[in-house]
Amino acid sequence: MDKARFFDPHAHMTSRTTDDYERMAAAGVRALIEPAFWLGQPRTNVGSFIDYYSSLVGWERFRASQFGITHYCAIGLNSKEANDEGLAREVLEILPRFALKEGVVAIGEIGYDEITEAEEKAYQWQLQFAKDHDMVVMVHSPHRDKKRGIIRSLDVAKEIGIDMEKLVIDHNNEETVEEVLDAGAWAAFTIYPHTKMGSQRMVDITKKYGAERFIVDSSCDWGVSDPLSVPKTAKMMIDQGVPAEAVEQATWGNAAKAYGYSGQIDMDALGEAAAVDQRELFSDNSVLRGQPARVDGEVPN
Amino acid sequence: MTDLLQTVDRWLHETLAAGGHQKAVEWSDHEASKVSAAGLSDAQFAQSIALASRFAPRGPLAPSTQACQVAGGTLPGWNPERWTGLEAVRVRLVLARAAAEDATLPRAIEEAFRYADEGELCALYRSLQFLPGPDRFVWRAGEGCRTNMMSVFEANGCDTAFPVTHLDDIAWRQLCVKALFIGAPLWRVSGFDGRVDAELGRMALDLVEERRAAGRAISPELWLCLKGEPDERALRALEDELTGEDELSSRGAALALGRLGRHDRLRELASSAKGPLLETIQLAITDHHDQAAFGAVSIPEGATPTTPTATAD
Repeated sequence: MDKARFFDPHAHMTSRTTDDYERMAAAGVRALIEPAFWLGQPRTNVGSFIDYYSSLVGWERFRASQFGITHYCAIGLNSKEANDEGLAREVLEILPRFALKEGVVAIGEIGYDEITEAEEKAYQWQLQFAKDHDMVVMVHSPHRDKKRGIIRSLDVAKEIGIDMEKLVIDHNNEETVEEVLDAGAWAAFTIYPHTKMGSQRMVDITKKYGAERFIVDSSCDWGVSDPLSVPKTAKMMIDQGVPAEAVEQATWGNAAKAYGYSGQIDMDALGEAAAVDQRELFSDNSVLRGQPARVDGEVPN
Repeated sequence: MTDLLQTVDRWLHETLAAGGHQKAVEWSDHEASKVSAAGLSDAQFAQSIALASRFAPRGPLAPSTQACQVAGGTLPGWNPERWTGLEAVRVRLVLARAAAEDATLPRAIEEAFRYADEGELCALYRSLQFLPGPDRFVWRAGEGCRTNMMSVFEANGCDTAFPVTHLDDIAWRQLCVKALFIGAPLWRVSGFDGRVDAELGRMALDLVEERRAAGRAISPELWLCLKGEPDERALRALEDELTGEDELSSRGAALALGRLGRHDRLRELASSAKGPLLETIQLAITDHHDQAAFGAVSIPEGATPTTPTATAD
């Protein structure tokens, strides 16, 4: 696994420290996508969203580059905050100003939380925007009533006319995977301690279905989560006999392909070794000075 | 359009065309005419700046040496050597907006800044030097000094005469010292040599002592900040650097001795020096020690630091 490279297509780096960036880079994470999400604390005005979206395309992009990681993002109004309808309207008004910027690879993460009417409105509006601008969509599936939420996400997306090739449904599990595969969308799995998926379950599910339409991500955020989920899961897959080609698909190739439809991912540049600025070395900030990150553990289920 | 706006726009147009970026030329021609139209909202202007990324080359603009000379002749301090093609396209749009309506220009520019991503910020900061009524953009350039995004800091502070011409003393000195802090190339701060003063020298020497106390390396470009009649502290600091093991640092200190007129000491040093250090000493003795000469000892230009990087603090 020495020369492995990973694409973590769901990582909320705003909530993480430079230690995490160092460990991710050392473990081979070469690129990531940071989708806009709920910050734990509800926002009370549209300015907070403007500054948050700005940080995704500005400061956070720069911060990642210091560690040799290429940072893309997805812009969207999350399902929870869609329920604050007045604010949601204002957010959707300014959203187009960020959604078409350089390095924005999708509309996301959007979808349902409680499956309310307000969530429905925001979801449909954003799907329509994605369709009008030929964009990829990253869908967050709900924690509660997940299966119904996923089925509905797929149905509404189909109704609006989203190309299934440009639709990623995230946070899947054993119970939802077949619906997503049958619909022809990409099935993403969040390897997240104690909730969502554990890495051993991910190995098992890959053995069962193959990795042709699978995407593995960490969704690391402000909760108890693990930014090394993708490399750790890859190592477990290899150790347990999942073919290398399938591991490559699930932890690099499929994310690059699905989000690559945005035209914002330069695969040639990603193929080259990460360029870390010489100045970072001089400022004693080298990511190279640390020990290689340990990826031989398991993400607990 | 004022003469300057027109001349700069023509230069950008020609340089993009010379680089074979026909699609970018056509798109920016078309978009510039939209941006110039009466009644364009600030939001639409900002949107145009953002959309440029879909039509412009991401790589370097790579103007010829001759084109760079023309640029510097058009506006002293402007050096587009390191511009990207995308920046050129975006600046064309800013120029078109500046020509269209002057009274509302600051509002439109500030709106674009408010919604800008990293690349847009770079282009917007680079454009400030061309705009009429520069006093209206001084606060914004001060904001550019406060950023920690290296790319944005350089776009605002380097290769443009806007800072040296318009920043007040506090902002100006913060720009210079912060360049040393974050490792941006101080030698590329246009007009530096004409504005370096004793107070900046004091701040630089304080920084030297702080870095030495912590056992950290000192940027070879720091010595640019010493000028005029040197005091004991300055000379001692330079001697420490000359006797150190890091060649780039010694070369920076040698250039500083030249700037301070210490030719006797340089001749002494020449008797035992060799290689790149000797060459630098000879340059310093013959008064080739302006800010551009520090480019040769600048880390950012790709020189490998020979000082071992410290272990984690």
